[in-house]
Amino acid sequence: MSEEKPITRRSFLATAVWAIGGLISAGLGIPAIAYLIGPALRSRAAETWIALGSTSKVELGTPTLFRARIQRQTGWIVNEEELSVYVLTQDARDYTAMSNICTHLGCRVRWIADRGEFYCPCHNGVFDKAGQVVSGPPPRPLDRYETRVENGQIYILGG
Amino acid sequence: MRVADWLDERLGWRRVWEAIFLRKVPKVNWLYTLGSATLFVAVNQMVTGILLTIYYVPTPDQAYASVQYITTQVPAGWLIRGLHHWGASAMVVLSVLHMLRVILHGSFKFPREVTWFTGVGLLLVVIGFGFTGYLLPWDQKAFWATTVGTRIASVTPLIGDSLMRILRGGAELSAVTLARFFGVHIWVLPVGLTALLLVHLYLVIRVGISAPPGPEE
Repeated sequence: MSEEKPITRRSFLATAVWAIGGLISAGLGIPAIAYLIGPALRSRAAETWIALGSTSKVELGTPTLFRARIQRQTGWIVNEEELSVYVLTQDARDYTAMSNICTHLGCRVRWIADRGEFYCPCHNGVFDKAGQVVSGPPPRPLDRYETRVENGQIYILGG
Repeated sequence: MRVADWLDERLGWRRVWEAIFLRKVPKVNWLYTLGSATLFVAVNQMVTGILLTIYYVPTPDQAYASVQYITTQVPAGWLIRGLHHWGASAMVVLSVLHMLRVILHGSFKFPREVTWFTGVGLLLVVIGFGFTGYLLPWDQKAFWATTVGTRIASVTPLIGDSLMRILRGGAELSAVTLARFFGVHIWVLPVGLTALLLVHLYLVIRVGISAPPGPEE
């Protein structure tokens, strides 16, 4: 026969206090964590086709800079932001649109016409005109947008 | 337990724990829990208040939108704001009930006068919290309540008008008013509350609480 430990009034109350305290803490703590990380888990807004400009502006074989104004909702603010996109074509039929955001740490790259390369001033990242890494720290080529041409206008899919 | 012993040898926390939680108290009734209830809600206000500042912005062009964002967009934001909103009312109600119990039982008498003084200070701080916090959502109710509330200060003899201008940070309710109410609400008053509360609780432990008065007293 095993001897059961009697539950005293004192130990019962002590356990109950800790249990209720734990429940209340969890009841506030778990929502607090959701509250803190919630906006970070939100998926990006749906992508839309953004008009860049006329295809006639694109020089053959040279990345050409286009700027587009977009509306972006961040938190409770709607911002107007400028998107800079380099468009490259070899034959005026197929267009490649590249982001100007360096794939290393997010600085903006610039097309240096003399050297025929994209250059990132932050850590000397260099990309060729198709966006492939030539030298420096960038881990992958420049990001590309999906493109569409309609009535002589170039559109990219972004948001 | 080994960790607890190791820490106790170095910190002596068990004596502190015993002094706080295992102290002798007279035989009392449920009315004596009102102070603890107020403390509980105060902790709730601190936790939820700190969380609200993660998203709230005290400027006229964004305050309302940021509050709406908290309430409708942030997960559990409605809960955090709701707890802070209703907790604010509970603070005032519980503080006053606690004070009434102290008055009715004569608990403010020797040797507990200083406990009582700090308690009066705490009640004023709580009212200050209510007054400044009411403006922060920056909706119509907040705006006009504070317009009226600060105007009341202007009927003070001699210094009334200056007092109102100091409260508002100018002649009108403005961005300056919202910013200073926010600053007072999240910095000045919490510091005051914490300081008074520590003295209040220290005295509750040091002097002890009073027993309910009997028929012969």
